[in-house]
Amino acid sequence: MAGIAPNVRIFQDRGGSAREIITPEAVPLIVELAPLSERAAAFIIDFVFWNLAVFLIVFPISFLKIVDVTPEIVVGLMLLVSFIIRNTYFLHFELAWRGATPGKRIVGLRVVDRNGGPLLPSAVIARNLTREFEVFMPIVVLLSLEEVTVGQWAQWLSFAWLLAIGAIPFLNRDRMRGGDLIAGTIVISLPRRALLADQAQNEFRYSFTDRQLLAYGNYELQVLEQVLRGAETSLYSNEMLRQVGEKIRHRIGWTGEVPLALEERFLRDFYTAERAFLEREQLFGKVRPDKHHQGGPR
Amino acid sequence: MVAQVESIGVENRIDEPRPRVLLRSSEFRRVREDDWRALEILIGKAEKRGIRSLSAEELQRLPLLYRSVVSSLSVARSIALDRNMLAYLENLSLRAFLVVYGPRTTLWQGMSRFFAHDFPAAVRGAWPHLLIAFLALMAGGLAGFLLTVGDEQWFSSLVPSGLAGDRGADSTREALLNREIFGPWEGAAHAFALFANTLFQHNTMVGILAFSLGLAAGIPTVLLMIHNGLIMGAFVGLHYNRGLTYEFIGWLSIHGVTEFTAILFCAAGGLLIADKILFPDRYSRVQSLAIHGRVAGRIALGAVFLFFVAAILEGGFRQLVSSTDLRYAIGWGIGLLWLLYFVRAGRRKES
Repeated sequence: MAGIAPNVRIFQDRGGSAREIITPEAVPLIVELAPLSERAAAFIIDFVFWNLAVFLIVFPISFLKIVDVTPEIVVGLMLLVSFIIRNTYFLHFELAWRGATPGKRIVGLRVVDRNGGPLLPSAVIARNLTREFEVFMPIVVLLSLEEVTVGQWAQWLSFAWLLAIGAIPFLNRDRMRGGDLIAGTIVISLPRRALLADQAQNEFRYSFTDRQLLAYGNYELQVLEQVLRGAETSLYSNEMLRQVGEKIRHRIGWTGEVPLALEERFLRDFYTAERAFLEREQLFGKVRPDKHHQGGPR
Repeated sequence: MVAQVESIGVENRIDEPRPRVLLRSSEFRRVREDDWRALEILIGKAEKRGIRSLSAEELQRLPLLYRSVVSSLSVARSIALDRNMLAYLENLSLRAFLVVYGPRTTLWQGMSRFFAHDFPAAVRGAWPHLLIAFLALMAGGLAGFLLTVGDEQWFSSLVPSGLAGDRGADSTREALLNREIFGPWEGAAHAFALFANTLFQHNTMVGILAFSLGLAAGIPTVLLMIHNGLIMGAFVGLHYNRGLTYEFIGWLSIHGVTEFTAILFCAAGGLLIADKILFPDRYSRVQSLAIHGRVAGRIALGAVFLFFVAAILEGGFRQLVSSTDLRYAIGWGIGLLWLLYFVRAGRRKES
């Protein structure tokens, strides 16, 4: 049985679409829930792939004339082949690619166990074959043109069923569809992030006092980090950097002159000094989330 | 004035410029970065070509590097304010976590484990729910039979017209024998259409209903079983009045044994869900659903497989085999195999 200790919330809500899962090493990892739009995009890509495969199999057969091919048989064959293909497709890829199908991989999504445990084969099987119950079989009933053996009410029922199932991901905070609920899984966004160069540096031209550095907090530091990364790739011109520099100098009460050519240098020095200052403060337990944080000079 | 970064803190007053700057996070990154890069390469390779593409030596390093990066993340969260580095470590740890703890089974292994162990074990675990579903079906069957035997008008009110076809109170013994029970085999095309029709329309609707109505406390599931029993009982009653009970049950058995088993499984899955939502024990209701939903899901998924077999039997074999005795032998023989399978399979490897 899944190892959930009663009354202990392993899986925690961190607000918005960020969630926390705890690894077996007891380190909390932050995951981003995939937006439903991205999941729909991944599904459409997969839909195209598997139907291409179905078409490639069914199309030649319907022209082979082994038996007298009536439209009824082609439809039956389509249903059967697509049933087999799509289930093989989803199960194979989510197992072999650890929770990703080609569509999910292109969009950058992964299926994970919501308790931070390993993604078990039984969970993969459960979440995928549930899709049959959730969507495909009701759709087949809904779209069947001839009189269904069960009668007209079956079509209305399928329609209501589809509406109810379709509403589930919108109604729970973790955007789980029915299959996710049954399998205990969530779908997360997993973009690849690169480690970029450290913006802090070893040598300084300008130095700052603690009072000046108290003017800002973590938030502003990280905005400045973005600006400096932009400057590295020439996204920001010297004039734009100048504006940022002027603003900082005004706020910290800087009196000296900074030539235009050295503006980037000034910002980089300020960033390094500010980061060193805030990291030291944080180590002493004095976190400054942003410039509005109360806590004057010592 | 040029200052050097040094790793010693210096006492200084608030209005004095700091001559030296202490940047622990940069130092931290400098020491650990090689490990991160090494893990990133391993993970990239595993994500792209699967974990089997890693060499034995790489596989040995993977968990060590993973633990090192996860511990880096823990430290970085408390000492570093480099946003890019933090985001990178979060991302790398998560990607590595998914590789290290990802499923190691292929589709084939997963499926064989499912059929060899998970499915029969789930069915065995749900025996009280199966029993309830079975009793409901039998109660409905008995009622339908008695009603129809007494007054055949009940047949048309119990059985939906789509299922009844041209059968009803007016049917003669000969019509039932020649058109239904020993009706001619109408060729592969017709058999196939019948196969697809029963599999994807009637059976699955009943299965879906029985399973999903479990969410509504299970009472509709029980009612549905009674309803199905009524229909079956009405059919038997109609044939009983014409002295065709033995032939009809043979005709029904060849696929019906498997088909009714599948319907009962769906119902048992629904009842299991209802049970665990109503009586979550020491879990919250959602937790309880997540835990037992997997078990219920397994039963329903196995039922899809049974429906498949039943549809093949109905579409392909029912009209081909025209001996009633042989129909009994096939239908109940397969039923016996199912029984053996669900009672015996996967007992040794309980986990």
